[in-house]
Parts: sequence; C-alpha cells; structure tokens
Amino acid sequence: MEHEKWVLEDPMLGMIFVGASFVFFYLIGWYSQKAAKSSTDYWTAGRSIGSITNGLGMASSYMSLATFMGVTALILKLKVPFVYMWIQFALSIPLITLWYGTPLRRMGAFTPAHFVRERYGLRTSYVTVVFMILIMVMYALGQMIGVAKVFEMLFGINYNLALICGGALIVGYVTIGGMYGTSYNAAFQMILMGVAFVVPLGAIMKAMGGTGWYFPPLLYSDMVPAMLEAVPDFFDMKYGFKWYLSLIPCFTLGAMGLPHLGMRVYTSSNLKSARGAMVWFTFFCGIVFCSTYTMGFSGVYFQATSGSAIAPTDFDKITLILNSVYNPAWVLAFVIAGAIAAGLSTISANLMAIGAMIAQDIIATIKPDLSDKTMKVIGYLAIAGGGATSILIALNPPDFLVVSILWAFGLAGVTMAPLVMLGVWWKPANRYGATTACLVSGLTYIVVAPYFFPSIVVGGGLEAKVGMTGSLLCVPLCFFLLTTVSMITNKIPALMNRFDYQKDHVLIDKIHGWADYSEERYNSNTAGIIIAAVSLFFCIYAVLPGGW
Amino acid sequence: MNSAYKKEIRYTLVFSALLLICGHLGLLFVAFPGLQNKMVMGFPSQYIVPIVFGWLVLMVVVGFQAKLTNDLDDEIEELNAGLSETVE
Repeated sequence: MEHEKWVLEDPMLGMIFVGASFVFFYLIGWYSQKAAKSSTDYWTAGRSIGSITNGLGMASSYMSLATFMGVTALILKLKVPFVYMWIQFALSIPLITLWYGTPLRRMGAFTPAHFVRERYGLRTSYVTVVFMILIMVMYALGQMIGVAKVFEMLFGINYNLALICGGALIVGYVTIGGMYGTSYNAAFQMILMGVAFVVPLGAIMKAMGGTGWYFPPLLYSDMVPAMLEAVPDFFDMKYGFKWYLSLIPCFTLGAMGLPHLGMRVYTSSNLKSARGAMVWFTFFCGIVFCSTYTMGFSGVYFQATSGSAIAPTDFDKITLILNSVYNPAWVLAFVIAGAIAAGLSTISANLMAIGAMIAQDIIATIKPDLSDKTMKVIGYLAIAGGGATSILIALNPPDFLVVSILWAFGLAGVTMAPLVMLGVWWKPANRYGATTACLVSGLTYIVVAPYFFPSIVVGGGLEAKVGMTGSLLCVPLCFFLLTTVSMITNKIPALMNRFDYQKDHVLIDKIHGWADYSEERYNSNTAGIIIAAVSLFFCIYAVLPGGW
Repeated sequence: MNSAYKKEIRYTLVFSALLLICGHLGLLFVAFPGLQNKMVMGFPSQYIVPIVFGWLVLMVVVGFQAKLTNDLDDEIEELNAGLSETVE
C-alpha cells in the first residue's frame, strides 16, 4: 500500500501562527531576562514564582512534544499498554515534593546534583553530573526530533533542514530568556498547548461521531463498541507482570531523578506555594494526559477504519494528521503552534538544567572565584552547547521520538533518584556508597541497553530499548550498593576519618527543617538492611527469564 | 523521638504508597485478570479505572498531601520556636 504524504496545504497560515507565538515567547524571555539581577536569579527565577504559574510551568515541562506526538504514536503501535506507561508520569512532582523537593529548597540547591555535591562531596557530584548531562541531552534529543517533524510538516522541507532551523530558533530563545523566561513562558505555553490540543480534539471526536466531544478527556465511551469491532485487541493488556512492575523503577523513580522537574519546585516563592503548585500540576497534567489517550484512541480508530495508510515514520504525526483530516487548515496551524510550544517548554527546561549543571555544579566548584558576569556567560555557552549537541545527535534519529526520552528517564532513575532519596532520608548513606552505586549501576544500565553491546541485553524488544528491562535490574542494584557499601565503609574508621561525616548528618536534620540536631533521626541501620534485602530480591527477579 | 518526626516518616511512607497505587493500577489488573473487561462508565475496567485514579483520585490524594505536610511544617516550626525560647 502506498503511504500518503502529510503536509500542511497552506504553509503561510502555519508560519503566521508559529511566528506570532515565537515573537511572544521572545518578548517574555527578553522582559524576564531584564528582571534577572544575578546569575542565581537566572537559574531560579528569583525564587518568586506563584503556585498557579508554577503548577502550569511544572505541567508544561511534562507536556512535551512526547505528549503531543510521541505518545499518540506509541499508542498507535502498542495500543493500551502505553497508556499505563504514561499515567504514572503524573506522580513525578508529588513524589519529588514529598521525598526531596522541599528539603532541597530549604537547602537552596539548584539541582539534585547540587544536593549530591553538598551531601556526598565533589567527586560523587562530578560522576552524577556527567550522567545528568547525558540524560538531559537524550531528553532534549527526543524533543528536537519532534520539532523537526513539525517543521517538516509545516514547511514541506526535509527533516535535516527542519531540525537545524527549528532547533536553532529554540536554543536561541532559551539562551536569551533564562529561567525567568522559561517559567513565565512555560505557563503561557501550557495554556496554549492545552487549548491547541484539547479543543481541536473535541472537533475531531464530533466529526468521528462521538457524542461526548464537549469533554474529550473522558467522554468517548460511545465510541468503544465501534473500536472493539474495528480493533478487537485495543484494550488487551498484552504484557506480563514484570512489564508493568518495571514502570516503577524506570519511569516513576526515573522522573524523580530528572533535574529539570525538581527545578520547578526550587523556583517557588515558598514551600507552601510549591505544594500548592503540585496540586495544580496534577490537575493540568490530568486534562492533557487524558486527552492524549483520547487522541491515541481516535488515531487507532482512524487508522483501522478510514483506509488511509499512515507510514510508520509518520506515526509521530498522528495528532497533526487527524487535525488535517477533520479540521480546517487554520486549526491545524494553531495545533502546530501548540506542538512547538510543547517542545519549546521542555527543551527550555532541559537546556536550563544542562546550563545549571555545567555552570553551577562543575565550573563554579572548580573555579569558585569567577565573577557573576562570567558565570552568566558560561551559562549561556553551556545552554547553547547542550542544544547544539542534541541537534547534531537528532540528525540520525531513532524510529520513535519518545524512545530516547524514555531511555533517559531510566538512566535518571538508576543514577540519581536513589542517591537523592537516601541522601535526604538516611544518614548512614555516605560518599563511598554513593559513588560506587552511581558508577556501577549507571554503567550496567548502559551496557545492558541494546544500543551498545547487543549480545549483553536484559530482556528484549521495545521494553529493552526504552530502558524498562535495564531499570528493573539497575535501580535496585543502585539501592543495594548504596546501602551495603555505606554500611560497610561506615565501620572502617580509616575511610570515615577522611571527611567530616558529622557535617553531612547535621545537613540532613537542617534540610528537614529541624533547628536542633538529633543523632537518632533518619539513622536506622535496620531500614538500610531492609532496603538492601528488598533490592537484592528485585535484582534477582529482574534477571530471571520470563514474566515480560 | 518526637511525634512530628514520626509523623514526617509516616506521611512520607503512606503518601508514597497512595501515590504509587494511584499511578500503577495496571499492576492490579495484570495480577488479577478476573478484574478485567468489566464495563465501567462504558469502558473496559482495566482501561478507565487506572485513568481515573491517575488523574482525579490522584488530585484528591495530592490535595491531602499538601495540606498535611504544610501542617507538619508548621508543627516543626513551632517545636523549633519552643526550642529557641528554652535556649534563651
């Protein structure tokens, strides 16, 4: 069957919508930049963002192009199991706030890597920063691919040209705006992308014959019988227990390790505002996530019933394709502007995190006496460099844009989340345990991925490509190594006398808000033994064959 | 060990469990296949129940989380204030 070529019939309309939104983003970025009085303001927006703006910003860092395009593409391929994969992403900000967002904010940390430096020392932080930069580049890579695909459809130009033009526009905007720009812009972008996604979806549902078109996130049950007739296996769970279990270490804990999500907690004006933002985040996230499932549902139904052939390489464009079929051209142009906003807000957050890590977590620790002005210039260069790198890697993209993003989540879950979680909540965790755990489990995750050594892979198929099989082994491995190595080295005075571990213990009480110090708090060896035993059990379970 | 500390640990563990339940109900349906294919709100149960829990029920849990952890912060601050008065 010959596949149809999907492009916008009137590129001028698309250019007007996208151009207008970019002018607006640049203006907000420029105005915000003027408000940044110091390099700290640049990274944390002066810690002055209110709860609704921050909730919108948190949601918008998640409403990436993956939500607009990647998710619907994989629903088209995997059907319902991919929905379960996505639902749990709404847990990220509540879990981050619960486990370490508020302690890190009390501490004044920019990123989880900043916390690692204070808690475990410089050497451990360098190891984690290297992994974090790799994670952020892989994350931004998925977004860049999405931007290129949107520009490709918008202008009818080839992928590489679309990638370079779209990527350069976005990297320029982020470099100019800083976190003030990204925070205020993210709120605006969240509204734009929400409206651009949900309202046209209602029109698509109406055109398809759905009676619940006025509330697309949940009201499409009248289309279920037709779907079951056209695609009888749409609601099948398909995979085994291990597949669903691995979502926890790979994506739930993975999201907790992502620096750009945590940064939204640190930009709040106060802790109560950060918690208020978390409630708004779940609300906004829910609307768009549920609409995404509806879009995926509609896409599968369209593909099964319309007779239109969609090439697998165009699966990422299903949202745009449905709009081009069922809605007028100006609506599609508006949706494209929303998709660009979605990519922009996430790339902004990714690049800001790369910039903050290179400038604050590496350069500032090596050369602490650099002037504020120099630090800002280094920040600009780091952001631009991170963006350029992700553009270059995107020249040779994976089949689906969301694959690289999901693999990055797994790596964050393996290398960062256990260090921060136990670092905040368990005093016996020390730098020897943290460095060993991060290095060994991070490298193991890379080795068992199908990309580098295809003969040494845990599991196979898409779940190995997105890092689910690797995470089910390596996240427990990281917890196991961190607890056991820490408990063993804590008993070796020659090692412990090399640094002031008492200072690390005092830090933990302080970031939990205690004015006094108590040795008993957060200091249970029994908890360490339980965590080690449970982790070892899951490591063994992960390598046992079957269950996927 | 004071009650605010115990409360802090309890809240963290309980809310972690509740959040995980809200976001991972797929596990329940795959572990107990008998729960699948019951129609709820016009959808198969294994589809709509995790979606509703992952959004609306999650919002309720997160609302409680915000309220209780804010109250706990206030309690810790009061304890700290009492401590500094004792020192003075």
